[in-house]
Amino acid sequence: MKISGTRQIGAPRSEVWKMLLDPVILEKVTPGIKKLESQGIDNYNAVSSIGIGPVRGVFEGTLSVKEKVQEESCVLVVDQKSKMGNVIAEIRMLFMPSEGGKTQVEYTGEAKMSGTLARMGQRIMSGVVSTLSKQFFEALEKEVEEQTI
Amino acid sequence: MGNFIGKSVKRREDARFLRGAGRYTDDIKLPKMTQAAFVRSPYAHAKVLNIDISEAQKADGVVAIYTGQDGCGAYGVPCGWQVNFKNGDTMREPVHPLLAKDKIRHLGEAVAIVVAETLELARDAAELVEVDYEELPAVTDPKKAMEPSAPLVHEEWGDNAAFDWCIGNDRTEVEAALASAHHVTEMEYRNHRVAPNAMEPRSYIADYDINAGKWTLYTSTQNPHLIRLLLCAFVLGIPEHKVRVVSYDVGGGFGSKIYHYTEEALLTWISKEIGRPVKWTSDRSEAFLTDAHGRDHVVHSKMGFDKDGKIVAHLTDEYCAMGAYLSTFAPAVPTYLHGTLFQGVYTTPLIHLNVVAPFTHTVVVDAYRGAGRPEATYLLERIISKAAKEMKMDPADIRFKNFIPPFDGIDEPGYQTQVALQYDSGNYEGVLKRGLEMLGYEDFRKEQTKARKNGKLLGVGISTYIEGCGIAPSAVVGSLGARAGLFEVGHVRVQPTGKVQVFTGTHSHGQGHETVFAQFVADKLGIPMDDIEIEHGDTDQVAFGMGTYGSRSLAVGGSAIIKSVEKVLEKGAKIAAHKLEAAEKDLEYAEGKWTVKGTDKSISFGDVSLTAYVPHDYPEGLEPGLDFSSFYDPSNFTYPFGTHIAVVEVDKDTGKVDLQRFIACDDVGNVMNPMIVDGQIQGGVVQGVGQALLEEVVYDDSGQMITGSYMDYAMPRADDVPMIETDRTVTPCPHNPLGVKGAGEAGAIGSTPAVVNAVVDALSHLGVTDIQMPVTPQRVWKAMQN
Repeated sequence: MKISGTRQIGAPRSEVWKMLLDPVILEKVTPGIKKLESQGIDNYNAVSSIGIGPVRGVFEGTLSVKEKVQEESCVLVVDQKSKMGNVIAEIRMLFMPSEGGKTQVEYTGEAKMSGTLARMGQRIMSGVVSTLSKQFFEALEKEVEEQTI
Repeated sequence: MGNFIGKSVKRREDARFLRGAGRYTDDIKLPKMTQAAFVRSPYAHAKVLNIDISEAQKADGVVAIYTGQDGCGAYGVPCGWQVNFKNGDTMREPVHPLLAKDKIRHLGEAVAIVVAETLELARDAAELVEVDYEELPAVTDPKKAMEPSAPLVHEEWGDNAAFDWCIGNDRTEVEAALASAHHVTEMEYRNHRVAPNAMEPRSYIADYDINAGKWTLYTSTQNPHLIRLLLCAFVLGIPEHKVRVVSYDVGGGFGSKIYHYTEEALLTWISKEIGRPVKWTSDRSEAFLTDAHGRDHVVHSKMGFDKDGKIVAHLTDEYCAMGAYLSTFAPAVPTYLHGTLFQGVYTTPLIHLNVVAPFTHTVVVDAYRGAGRPEATYLLERIISKAAKEMKMDPADIRFKNFIPPFDGIDEPGYQTQVALQYDSGNYEGVLKRGLEMLGYEDFRKEQTKARKNGKLLGVGISTYIEGCGIAPSAVVGSLGARAGLFEVGHVRVQPTGKVQVFTGTHSHGQGHETVFAQFVADKLGIPMDDIEIEHGDTDQVAFGMGTYGSRSLAVGGSAIIKSVEKVLEKGAKIAAHKLEAAEKDLEYAEGKWTVKGTDKSISFGDVSLTAYVPHDYPEGLEPGLDFSSFYDPSNFTYPFGTHIAVVEVDKDTGKVDLQRFIACDDVGNVMNPMIVDGQIQGGVVQGVGQALLEEVVYDDSGQMITGSYMDYAMPRADDVPMIETDRTVTPCPHNPLGVKGAGEAGAIGSTPAVVNAVVDALSHLGVTDIQMPVTPQRVWKAMQN
């Protein structure tokens, strides 16, 4: 399944970049996250609990940040297993400065699913993914606001 | 026509079905019964590195957990039909394990089974089973499976072919005829994979009785005796007389419930291990993943014509998926049930079909309503319509030009095809003429021209099919690789009071045998239908049988019953002659009594029955009782045929196809119950329309199924189809006593190409010559844009 989108975040690139690579912030903003353990630089073990419509379950696995270009781009690699199937996703994120000291985040990538997750059908899964990314960025934005206050 | 034969008698079984009082396997609850849940692979192709059941074993209510290491059914489930390579090499037959051991070969393959006190506890515990997999690349497309780089489903043979087979005339001869043909029409497409979607999901209960040392398997199958034979002799090695297989009511099968599934054998094995009954019922998701699918042929075909539009040669190459293993009848479907119909209803002098059947990382295929014959019909009826367009001929005219002339098969041997079969009787131009009349073909073409001027896209599609039914003469199918005889058993037991029990080895999974069989028995015996009970679906009650598929129940099963009825009447006549003090030859039987011709002296069927069981005043040397069993092995297949015509309007903005009229003029030989035949035709047509317009099983490149629920797998609904207009011609089968041909599959065979032909016709003036099924709005819209 293809994943893509754009978001505006009300903080400069350097700020957004720093926050995204901060495990404490990451744990706070990733939806459903129960536990995020650092396994060396940019590698995490993650446990999350997700419940949106029929997609409901505990996901366990790794999360890592690769191909970092300082403040410009990175690739987020998610490898999560659950009883209803597994997800492997690679999402490339581009950070671009935009007006008023804001940052535009563009993300594109592909998620490979197996088991029940795959069979749920593209329509539901893309809905789930867009809800999750919306929650992620909204939480990130909230963090940004709180940090800047 | 008798009192009942040929009448639309209402179905006796519907009284219980409509009240929700049917006896389906899942309705049965035995004392101390446990429930099973499966752990199934989320991958299509993977190594099983480790299975950890320790947590699951500690869970509440768990009775037992088994994995592939536990030695159940070491030989796996067998295949029932052997199709060899054209060079004579034996078909490749992999072991099909009851539970995967170290390798996963299709999505949803069972890795472990958890047995617990309740279904919920079994499912909870199954979630605690930890399986480590190493995912491997998969191949799901039958043509790609034969590429040298394709991942292997079974490593031992070096490529994925189960067999590479051909039928018909010499290939070089056919190629030469094509090379010199006036016109050659070519097609390449995929007859895509569909899921069977029986209303009742598969359900099994196995019960080992330690006192009797006997197993009872309750199963939702179409062929209980066949399951018992395969289970005992091939899978578990347990004595056949110690196993009773019961399938009372079964809610649809369409061929998918012929197959002897791994779960049936596994549960039977487990019930003895745990000493308690164990039940498993598939849920809808499991049904998508594990029920045998249908179709999945990749086709490349060329048909050559002379300048008058007469077919001179037909050459086809197909890749037909088998799935990860061989199901009970999978090898027969794209070969002897498919290639043997390539003559169609036409006089084609030269035919050659080559079938490569690869293993794929998908669930198995098996029979699906029509099994091989819809795929043959789709090809023939699409390619001849495409040729008509290319040669600027009318699609009806090109058919009339090529039809085999009418023959009744009574004083002549029937029509010998180029592809092994001999048709019994047929009048192909008769059904097309009638079909065109029902449509009002001339007027329709005028309407179509007018509609086009107004920007409306109207199309008509014709299909004239033939199918091989009444499966099957045992010696013939034996020579073609069947590992079973395909005769049938009919047993008629007359009780002392003249009430009659009829036992049949066929099995109704919705067809209405209890009504139709009682109709003709009542007529032949001249007694009320209420005095007759039709029994099926219990191997301890019915002596033997081969089950229901291939539109065989009436043609083969009915004929076996007739044989027994005749034996009853023959013996009854002896008793009657004795009681009436007359010679047998002076008696006539009618309206349920024997009468001395030309007198009013008579004795009723009931009195004769009573005499047979109270033989005080009785013919000397005659055995008491009135109870006969017969085996009937048909001398040939039966060959129903017909014309299906679809009228569609395509929405020019969205590409949505609106099926406006559907005409079915079928010839199924003599008709016992017109209402039931109409019902079979209508149901079959809707299923065929489903494949043409809506249904498709899609696996992605890694072998994940992305159409695993009704959100993505589109089934036809009432508003997708118009009222189906049915009519019939009657060309009796010359070689069975009822003159019947079978009607169960016809609807699904003729309808699919009729619908696609209509869509192509609607778009033909835009340059569209072909379109891949299912004909979704997106595909149509795209075709219109090009």
